[in-house]
Amino acid sequence: MRGASRKWRVALALVLIVPLAGACKKKSGRPGEGGAGAAGLGEEGLGGSSLERSKRGLGPEEGGILGDVHFAYDSYELDGSARDVLARNVDWLRQNSRAKVELEGHCDSRGTIEYNLALGAKRAKSVKDYLSSQGIAADRVSTISYGKELPLCQEESEPCWARNRRVHSVVLGQ
Amino acid sequence: MKTLTMLLMVMVFLGRVPAANAVVTGAIFGPGSESFPIAVVPLKNAGGDADGSLGARFARVLSRDLDLSGYFRLLDPKTFIEDPQTSGTTAAEIDFVGWATLGAQALVKGTVNAAGDTVTVEVRLFDVPGRHDVPAASRRFTGSRSDLGRMANKTADGILEFLTGERGPFDSAIVFVSTRGGRLKEVYRFTFDTDDPVKVSDERSLVVTPRWRNDSRAVLFTSYREHIPRLFQLDLATRQATRLVGGPGQVLDGAWSPDGSKLLVTRDEGGNSDIYLFDSGGQMIRRLTDHWAIDVSPVWAPDGRRLAFCSARTGSPQIYIMNVDGSGLTRVSHTGSYNTSPAWSPKGDRIAYTTRASGGFQIVVGGVDGSGEQTITSMGSNENPSWAPDGRYLVFSSTRAGQHHLFLSDREGKSQKQLTRGSADDTSPAWSPRLE
Repeated sequence: MRGASRKWRVALALVLIVPLAGACKKKSGRPGEGGAGAAGLGEEGLGGSSLERSKRGLGPEEGGILGDVHFAYDSYELDGSARDVLARNVDWLRQNSRAKVELEGHCDSRGTIEYNLALGAKRAKSVKDYLSSQGIAADRVSTISYGKELPLCQEESEPCWARNRRVHSVVLGQ
Repeated sequence: MKTLTMLLMVMVFLGRVPAANAVVTGAIFGPGSESFPIAVVPLKNAGGDADGSLGARFARVLSRDLDLSGYFRLLDPKTFIEDPQTSGTTAAEIDFVGWATLGAQALVKGTVNAAGDTVTVEVRLFDVPGRHDVPAASRRFTGSRSDLGRMANKTADGILEFLTGERGPFDSAIVFVSTRGGRLKEVYRFTFDTDDPVKVSDERSLVVTPRWRNDSRAVLFTSYREHIPRLFQLDLATRQATRLVGGPGQVLDGAWSPDGSKLLVTRDEGGNSDIYLFDSGGQMIRRLTDHWAIDVSPVWAPDGRRLAFCSARTGSPQIYIMNVDGSGLTRVSHTGSYNTSPAWSPKGDRIAYTTRASGGFQIVVGGVDGSGEQTITSMGSNENPSWAPDGRYLVFSSTRAGQHHLFLSDREGKSQKQLTRGSADDTSPAWSPRLE
């Protein structure tokens, strides 16, 4: 786990400079813009798996180099806006052909824990299948489900639920 | 003896015939009636408990158990007419008329003797109108000081057995997942003799779905300690957690068979979760489901031959049962579009699960064939029911008091009591078998 953490820290240097306070808001950074040269954060503010970040007290990250893909309630289908985000993610993955990515499936708070773990796995699989269909090699893409265990926000409201129903992409190195 | 025994026999009889709903002492006797007035007196010091702390603690634990059962109205100790430390503890010495005047139908008195670490408790249930003790619900225990709380729990279980024909569930433990240690999740153990649950895992990560081994000495849970979720078993005596089921894929949950020899495991490979049978050493025996839809949350029937689980194979998550050889798939839940986290009663006759209803989540209890379904909760969001070893009560998490806390209910939802408190989230409770 520690080795993986170091890889993620390497990725930090490549991430757009985004104020830490903005980590819980939608980011404007589009895939492809986070090129080398954006180094300098140096802090453990960005990147890393949602669990590693939570261990460090940072909480899960929203967006990042690759955009988050959102879902309807109890669904793992990719809608139009999900495909738009994924098209940009695919571009970035093509341009950064050595980058590997871990897809994290997340769910909102409504529903029971184990079912949401299974649902998160389905969501990550949907994204992996899409990337695969666009020619991104399967061995560059791993998946994990966090179910509803690591939410971005805690409010019981549709805007918060919608943010939490997502696949977050963690770039593991380039 | 006669008066209380006859009264209780009437109550037991009525309690077993729901349609009768007859009135005894002004209320229906059963969980939630809180109708049976009982006085629990601190144990009298018979040596070694000069400050009365052991005797008071015993009475506090016993009183809480009786209150949680929902059958009793505990009389306020401030109104007690006898000094616990100077009055007698035998029928010949007790002022039954005085206790009857207070409204007590039953009375618990006894003695405690402590010498070094050894504690001896003698406790008796008295029939106040009958002016007799009740030997069937009286106990004598010898153990260490740390056993005092369990002695009280066993006393409560015995009183419930005498009154209801069914032993109480309080000499047991509940494990659950909590954030009370910080931002991550660990397994905690709650017992009915303390207010503060004890942390038993040290994963420093996420843990999910703890479940008991049949001997109550080990707990199975899913942990993210190796990044990808795997199934671990935790020895409660040594606090050592060892991996039982690893890759390939993610392990979402697991459950020990009633005889401890096998495991039901949900494994997700490539985005498809299915249920597998493993031996207790972590070797796969066979795959039980093979469907592209979500299959998850397997739990054993008490006979060890069937399982209940959740599957979304019809497009929405529903509860199913099947035989452990993979045959006999039968859908149990028929109402609603979201039914998850089944729990099979240790008596075998009922299955509880979580249902989504009007935006919230509630606990349903119904027959194994899906008959007689009854929603037993209505306040807040309620999830992950687990049965008490007596099959009469359940524990589940509920947000009715803000955060997720553990609540206890009888299986008809008439008596609902909060078990854990605080600002952390307590979820995924699992109630142990009876302790040895």
